[in-house]
Amino acid sequence: MWQKIKPYVYVLPTVGVLLLLFVGGLIEGLLQSIGFLPAAGQYNLSLNFYQELLSSQDFWDSLVLTFRIAFLSSFSAGILGMFVSVCLFMLAKMGRGRIPRFWQRFFQLPMLVPHLVGAYLMVLLWMQSGWVSRILASFGWIDHISDFPVLVNEPFGWGIILTYAWKEAPFISLMIYPVLLRIHASWFETSRVFGASQWAFFREILLPLLMPAWISSTFIVFAFTFSAFEVPYLLGVTYPRMLPVLSYNLYTGGGLEARPEALAVNVILAVMTSLLGVIAYRLSRRWHMSEEGGW
Amino acid sequence: MKRPKLSYTLATFFIFAVVLAGCVGQKENHKETSSITQEDLLQAKWQDVLSQAEGQTVNVYLYGGSEATNRYIDDWVAPRLKKQTGIILNRVPVNDTKEIINKLLVEKQAGKRDGSVDVMWINGENFLTAKEKDLLWGSFVPELPNVQKYVDQESQVIKNDFGEPTEGMEAPWSQAQLVYTYNQNKMQQPPKSAEALKQWVKKHPGKFTYPAPPDFTGSAFIRNILYQTTGGYEQYLKSFDEQKGLDNKLEPFWDYLNAIEPYLWRKGQTYPESASKLDQLYANGAVWMTMSYDPAHAANEVKDGRFPESTRTFVFKEGTPSNTSYLSIPFNSPHKAAAMATINFMLSPNAQITKANPKIWGAQMAIDPNKLSEKHQKRLSALDLGKATLPAEVLAEHRVPEIPSDYVEYLEKGWLEHVAKD
Repeated sequence: MWQKIKPYVYVLPTVGVLLLLFVGGLIEGLLQSIGFLPAAGQYNLSLNFYQELLSSQDFWDSLVLTFRIAFLSSFSAGILGMFVSVCLFMLAKMGRGRIPRFWQRFFQLPMLVPHLVGAYLMVLLWMQSGWVSRILASFGWIDHISDFPVLVNEPFGWGIILTYAWKEAPFISLMIYPVLLRIHASWFETSRVFGASQWAFFREILLPLLMPAWISSTFIVFAFTFSAFEVPYLLGVTYPRMLPVLSYNLYTGGGLEARPEALAVNVILAVMTSLLGVIAYRLSRRWHMSEEGGW
Repeated sequence: MKRPKLSYTLATFFIFAVVLAGCVGQKENHKETSSITQEDLLQAKWQDVLSQAEGQTVNVYLYGGSEATNRYIDDWVAPRLKKQTGIILNRVPVNDTKEIINKLLVEKQAGKRDGSVDVMWINGENFLTAKEKDLLWGSFVPELPNVQKYVDQESQVIKNDFGEPTEGMEAPWSQAQLVYTYNQNKMQQPPKSAEALKQWVKKHPGKFTYPAPPDFTGSAFIRNILYQTTGGYEQYLKSFDEQKGLDNKLEPFWDYLNAIEPYLWRKGQTYPESASKLDQLYANGAVWMTMSYDPAHAANEVKDGRFPESTRTFVFKEGTPSNTSYLSIPFNSPHKAAAMATINFMLSPNAQITKANPKIWGAQMAIDPNKLSEKHQKRLSALDLGKATLPAEVLAEHRVPEIPSDYVEYLEKGWLEHVAKD
């Protein structure tokens, strides 16, 4: 008996916490998004808030922006992350000296910096009146600091994309590096014997092996950037705003009437993220199935 | 086989610890509220309130973004309060006062009778929300000795908080006023009216901007412009629902904001999201003006080396919005006696004059200077306000009230539609 239920008992604390805090929070949000807020004396349930939201231009502008930024930042973080870990892998093949270890540490560096600090660094460094611009101006490479390109607080979201690409690339490389470590050194030599170039080795052997881990980690980054708040809040523009910022402003600006609408934004965010999660899971499983044979 | 046993022991220990901690906490609370019931506190003698307060820990929630405020509370108020009344002050910083209201709403929804907030610093729409949703304790203010002695309870600026009667539910603590900050070396003649500001902005493209509402300071700025472009604040004092043809009235106001937009920082494509961001732009020279709802803020920034020495402040000739901020006690504060005693202490002449000292904080007093003793009056007039802070008389002469919260909210929403979007 005990043997049978043991595993369930072991996962009970985790499941309990998840149910209470995560699922409970979701349900609470869902309830509030349809107008149920006892503390404010609101009990009437309706889908009006969703209707209002879906018919407003603000929401669609925000959604498009959020998608674009989340896609571009996770994609660039993915490419950068893969590049970094393949470089690390090649370096490690050169031997176990100090230099590879230095680079490994160097590439992990951004993971130590919190997002808020990352965003703030972005502001300090890359604003038109930031350090880089002022250094360039004082060297006379640009005539005036306003000649510096606008990278922060512009409508396309370059600042946000750059921050996330820089910040999340180490995460992706950390996720796929263990996969690379499982590749035997002899494989590379064997491939050379059969006349494969480095690029062919990467394309034919490394890439297929990396794909499942790469897709899932890139998706995690996508889901994160899709619903992150502080970076777009600091680096975005007044209009249009990314969905999480829109939700925050709805929630904090004004009275309690706007609350359900803010939570409706959150519910839509959650639904979209989980849908995308299912898609990513399917994709990575397909890769996994077809490539697993050799392991 | 040894490992699981160890984890069981640990788990059991933790459960015990948690339960034990819970019991201890419960007991303590019980003891603290035993002598006078909370309802009776409002009728009790002040001496009894004080003796009940002794030894309690009071959680004071306030905006934590100002170094000067934090220093004042931690280094000046807390040690003296402990010495005089035996109350331990625990300052809890928040980013936005709305967070306190949210917390209280959640606590109320969850039926939590012993809350975590004892004293909070609020005003305006946060007070309105708290009052409407029954998040406040009650009319405790008239009971405080220092209010009876030093506060002008009949003053309009104190009786009403953004047009909403306070009904003794919050005690005035501080007064603030919107001031504009500029660098004397870069501009000799600051534009002292909305019209002059417009001319100046057009002549100096890119050198001016304001925080995007609903940022508090940005919101106050657009109200100041509203007063100036639509003929004064008086018309907005009546209740929002009685107001007729408001949209027509507001047209010149939106026109003004749209007229200056192309000449703002980054051509108005975006606005700083907070007053601190604007301060940063000012500090590194990207814009030539900034603004603050705290008249001593610029002087403090100069003192801390963030703003240039040549920084000065000014107000519009026709006045800038000014408001009173308050201290209040929530419905579920577990230490109401200590909360009352703390607020009373913070309204003492000594605490208020120290608060007004720019070396400490520089926030204006909420108590009436005329009611002070001669000794205290002398101390008040001896304060050196610093070059960047306007003299108290100048501020007082250029003070216009805030309008009811409904308007504030309407303007903030309208700003996004009319100004930010296009």
